[in-house]
Amino acid sequence: MAIKEKFKKITTKTKNSRIEYFLILCVVLSVFLFPAHGLTEEKTIGVIMTGDISYYRDMHASLLSKLNKEGYGNRVKIIMQKPFPEYISMRNAVRKLIAMNADIIVTYGTAATIAAIDEKPKIPIVYVSAYDPLISSLRAKNITGISTKSSVSSLLRYLKTVKSFSNLGVIYSTNEQDTIYQLNELRKFSGQYGFRIEEINLRSTYDLKGFSSSLLGVRPEAIFITSSSIANTVMPAITSFSRERKIPTASLLPDKINMPLIAMYATPESQGRMAAEKVMSLLDGALPENIKRDSAYEVELVFNMKEALSLGLSLPMELVTEATRLIQ
Amino acid sequence: MKFIITILLIVAIFVFMPFNAFCIDEILIGISPEENIFKQFERHKYLADYLSKKLGIKVKLTILSKYGDIIDNFVARRMDGAFFEVFTSVLAMEKLGVEPIARYVNLDGSSTIKSYIFVRKDSGIRTAKDMKGKRIAFVDKATVTGYLFAITFLKDNGINEIERYFKEYYFTGSHDSAVYAVFDRRADIGTAKSKVYEKIIAKDPIIKDELRIISESREFPEITLCIRKDLPVEIKTKIKDLLLNIDKEPLGKEVISKMEIKGFVATGITDFKPFFDLANKAGIDIRTYRYR
Repeated sequence: MAIKEKFKKITTKTKNSRIEYFLILCVVLSVFLFPAHGLTEEKTIGVIMTGDISYYRDMHASLLSKLNKEGYGNRVKIIMQKPFPEYISMRNAVRKLIAMNADIIVTYGTAATIAAIDEKPKIPIVYVSAYDPLISSLRAKNITGISTKSSVSSLLRYLKTVKSFSNLGVIYSTNEQDTIYQLNELRKFSGQYGFRIEEINLRSTYDLKGFSSSLLGVRPEAIFITSSSIANTVMPAITSFSRERKIPTASLLPDKINMPLIAMYATPESQGRMAAEKVMSLLDGALPENIKRDSAYEVELVFNMKEALSLGLSLPMELVTEATRLIQ
Repeated sequence: MKFIITILLIVAIFVFMPFNAFCIDEILIGISPEENIFKQFERHKYLADYLSKKLGIKVKLTILSKYGDIIDNFVARRMDGAFFEVFTSVLAMEKLGVEPIARYVNLDGSSTIKSYIFVRKDSGIRTAKDMKGKRIAFVDKATVTGYLFAITFLKDNGINEIERYFKEYYFTGSHDSAVYAVFDRRADIGTAKSKVYEKIIAKDPIIKDELRIISESREFPEITLCIRKDLPVEIKTKIKDLLLNIDKEPLGKEVISKMEIKGFVATGITDFKPFFDLANKAGIDIRTYRYR
């Protein structure tokens, strides 16, 4: 009897163990055979550009290319917003992305970045091409990204070496904080270099429409174009004006079709690649505050020899040798 | 009798005619790319014209686009001399058998220069430790002021592998390019000759305001004219005399004014002792150093 009971106990125990083993096996198999919910779920990346300009489009193309190359391309869905570079429009764009349940927000340019931060989303933000003196001062936990430190003084020096001037037209926008900062830098240098500034402020589509006629009222001897996206959209008018008056132009942003005489900027491709690294880290579960913020390091200095010819200017050889790229 | 007179006349021609009429009608002098090569050529052409006039021999200039090229091209182009920076002077003495004769005296009266390591003030870089992961712009491997001093500085701070320590390092080719590279943020750290750096910041106070020197070397001899030992003694002596006394006559004063120097001072091998001390410290053997 005792033996029978003992036997019964043992077989029950064995039966229970088998059930336990079976359950453990099911769990293990489910982990390996059936994809865990979080790993391959498609993530939504919301993108905001400070203006639909080729510079940011190239940056974005580079970011996407890197994501695809590293195998993240089929794990993400992109929602693009290209609001007019105006604060309220950009904040609305951020709200839309939040409403669409974006998992990550990527902002191109300073104005879009500031608008995104001010909206205080809980969503991680990756900024690209945000102007460094401004972005370093912003305190936000859930952000990381790539900043640029465009050298206003360097570009000004090159412009001054090409042609001396006493009256500098500066195209900027009160909608874009980085351009205000750059204007203030130029105001500081105006005393040291001995020139006056004519401010040309582009705030709205109305200003854009009337841009060509507004230029008639100014008499600059050279034009400095800040990193304003709005200004970048009127490059054809600026080019036409400068050719008519034979005045040199310098810009902190490139333009593929209407490249100014001198341009100096951090390359969009390198910034896109660097930003992709940050996005990939976030997709892999890292927290934005733990992802190091970087500065764009690949700087392009372009001299447009074709434009120099049409302006009737000759570029000093000592400057040309400093260029990383010449347009001929 | 007629035959003897003819022979004597021929001998007299060989003895008393200027030596150069028979052997040398042209001297080729190389110029190192201290600054932008176009600027360098402009500066030195006045000196070449002056020496041509005074020597009665055509003095031609040739620009060397790279410091390292000086050694290779000296023989290939059959140069007779070159204005060498301190490192290439020593390399040339070792490998080409040239001798130093005179070096620049700068407008401030000095005939020595230093190497500076500099950064932008807003870079946050103050020490070698802060340089980790940054970009550094050298001038050329065959320079003290644009490379060797910086390497020694890094070694003194425990940095022996620049390829691993820096995100990027490159060679700009000239000292002014290294300064502008840092100013333009195309590099985070730069190294260049003190004279070129001082000239740039004197011309542009904004550059002075935005850059900072974080280390400087001891003094080395300024740019030195070294000429091949087997040039005729009369020519070597005359060139030396002309250079050392160039500031004593109106035409010479005009030349050195255009060159932006005060004159020249005699130079010998002993003036290069600071270089040999640095090379020893850096563990460099001139005979085997790879300057390319």
